[in-house]
Amino acid sequence: MKKKIQSIVLNIILISIGIVTMIPFLWMVASSFKANKEITALYQTFLPKAFTLQNYVSMNSHFNFMRFFANSLFITITLTVIVVYSSTICGFVLGKYRFRGRELLFGLILSTMMIPWCVTIIPKYTMIKAFGWLNSYKALIIPGLFSGFGIFMMKQHMETIPDEILEAARIDGANEFYIFHKIVLPMSKNGIASIAIFQFLWTWEDYLWPYLAISDRNKQLLSVGLRMFSGQYATDFGAMFAATAISIIPVLLTYLIFQKQFIAGIAASAVKG
Amino acid sequence: MRKRLVSMLLAGCMVVSLCGCGKTAAGDTATDTTSTDSGTEEAATEEAAAVPGEVFGDTVQYDPNVPINNGEDIKIDFWEWGSDELFQQIVDGYTAIHPNVQIELVNNPWEDYWTKLPLALDGKDGPAIFNIHNSYHQNIVNYCAPYDIPTEDLEKDFNGVAAHVIDGNVYYIDYGIMTGSVYYNKDMWEAAGLTDADIPKTWDDMIAVAKKLTIKDGDNIVQAGWSFNDNVNSNYLMGVNYQLGQNLFDTDNKTCVVDNDATKKVFQMLIDAYDKEGVGSKDFGTSATDSFGQGQAAMAIAWGWFNNTLQSDYPDINYGVFEIPTFDGDPYAYNRYNGESTFGINKNADEKQQAVAQDIVKYFLANDELQVKFNLAMNTFPAKTSLADNEEILSNKAMAAIADHIDKYIWPGPVPATVEDSLKIAAENVFYNDMSIDEALKTAQDTINNDLKSKNFEAVESLYKYAK
Repeated sequence: MKKKIQSIVLNIILISIGIVTMIPFLWMVASSFKANKEITALYQTFLPKAFTLQNYVSMNSHFNFMRFFANSLFITITLTVIVVYSSTICGFVLGKYRFRGRELLFGLILSTMMIPWCVTIIPKYTMIKAFGWLNSYKALIIPGLFSGFGIFMMKQHMETIPDEILEAARIDGANEFYIFHKIVLPMSKNGIASIAIFQFLWTWEDYLWPYLAISDRNKQLLSVGLRMFSGQYATDFGAMFAATAISIIPVLLTYLIFQKQFIAGIAASAVKG
Repeated sequence: MRKRLVSMLLAGCMVVSLCGCGKTAAGDTATDTTSTDSGTEEAATEEAAAVPGEVFGDTVQYDPNVPINNGEDIKIDFWEWGSDELFQQIVDGYTAIHPNVQIELVNNPWEDYWTKLPLALDGKDGPAIFNIHNSYHQNIVNYCAPYDIPTEDLEKDFNGVAAHVIDGNVYYIDYGIMTGSVYYNKDMWEAAGLTDADIPKTWDDMIAVAKKLTIKDGDNIVQAGWSFNDNVNSNYLMGVNYQLGQNLFDTDNKTCVVDNDATKKVFQMLIDAYDKEGVGSKDFGTSATDSFGQGQAAMAIAWGWFNNTLQSDYPDINYGVFEIPTFDGDPYAYNRYNGESTFGINKNADEKQQAVAQDIVKYFLANDELQVKFNLAMNTFPAKTSLADNEEILSNKAMAAIADHIDKYIWPGPVPATVEDSLKIAAENVFYNDMSIDEALKTAQDTINNDLKSKNFEAVESLYKYAK
């Protein structure tokens, strides 16, 4: 009986937190169907009093939504695939090989996570400018090829894979390339799903660096476009909410598809050994 | 199974939404910002932009018959924020005259434009021409090339040029000026039995009218006659002081002097309006402009931009605009103004690109049609003297309100943000934290002057036409 009460209380707490977390998101979606005068009205209603699709229709008045969306999708998928692979292979090397300076190398990788991004953004801009990569997707992809967080996560994950499996493969004549691609990668699905979701989310919503690096409107990303709704004196809230509501769909899809592996991957990475 | 269904549903939503966007985007070609020499796009711009054959302009003139870059093809970037459609009109008009010039218009989000622009200008690859706002003067001016137009010619055509002259050079000027006026709700006005004859000229009149417009339910305010919540600093403490002959800065043009009798008098008037006259309350609405838009306040002082906000966000409000009241009808200056600036030219850009940028600036300054369009779009009063009585301009409520005394508004210069921020804190301290006016203004003044030590700011109040 006591256990049942505890469970009910826990569920009530979790549901309450869930509601608090969800309400701003749902309010945004509901408001995307309101006119600006209703969004800024003194007396707010959750659902629109006068339902309108005009915000969705007028999104393109600020920028070419579809173009920006496609650009974001391309960059996000490309970077996610690359980072997943580079993190897995680096994690494999750091987790399963013993070599001199391994801990130092891992420490250096971890230290990259400690430096605030705003400290590095100007030197990064200067470097990219010197390389002549501004206004090119090289500026977005190449600096993001490796992720300190991804490598950390995958190293932790690799340490959960028993060495005996790898030894057995070696005895059977498998080379390291084969072991990584045919044994380690399939066994790392959960870790990969976690990294994929994090990386997808971060790249999808990354704003300042794409804005600084890209000026050509045909190459610009959606996160930058969403800022166009905020002007010098006013914000077009309705169109901004409509564009944001659509822009989060890929992120939701990614999470829904990899949800199970994501939770398992996070749990596994949290427990070493 | 359920998860898959949700995923499919979301994917479906995305596809449908994007299809919708695609349809709109197809109609978006008219606002495509790249003017190229391709046949289809030429056809699109042909309709909009007529090619003038004659020299036009007042003192600053533009001759469309003079080729640019010897008629050879050239491409430049033009960075701006805000309305692509507005800037596109410059691009369309200019490229119709000079089809050899390709202008890539790059729209930017307002806030981070000021992070990106200096980075881009610090090299040869930055935009040849770019939009400027004087509040970022210090960050940008060192990257600007001076205008290739004689200063005296600019002064003949435009007001306020002298304030923009640096060592004999002009790097940008104002094409329009914006200031604060009183927005009033006409329906509330009528319901209170007021007519146009009751438009207040003095602050005493303003309070009297505000009292008639205030509606209370017992002690609770239902409708504020006058609200100034959240903008005491920018609309009163940095503006109404001029009516009493009090500048924001001392005669050295560097020391801020907000701790003075005139500002204290303005501050006290506002406190009395709420506390003694009961025309509103510090606790009734967080922002005067929001309260006005939401139909909770009958009057509020706001700058020209509010005219656009009311039309876009509060289309049901039936409003009018009148000039800010004064203490005695004969103010030293009615209010402070700020300008919307013309464009900057990148001194690090290629020489040929700079020459095109200079030519675009001249085209913009000489072109009355563009001047009117930009001022109407921004709700600014034209700095170009010949447009002061332009019919289209005077049909705009915000501009008509200030037209009669346009030369009696003063620009203190590109005032650093610390002045507005510190006075905002002062207002909050007085209204909400029971601090005395004397202490709040002294604290604000000390903070401002401490912050100004690290700035290279120089006030230009002494250049005001009626400066004492």
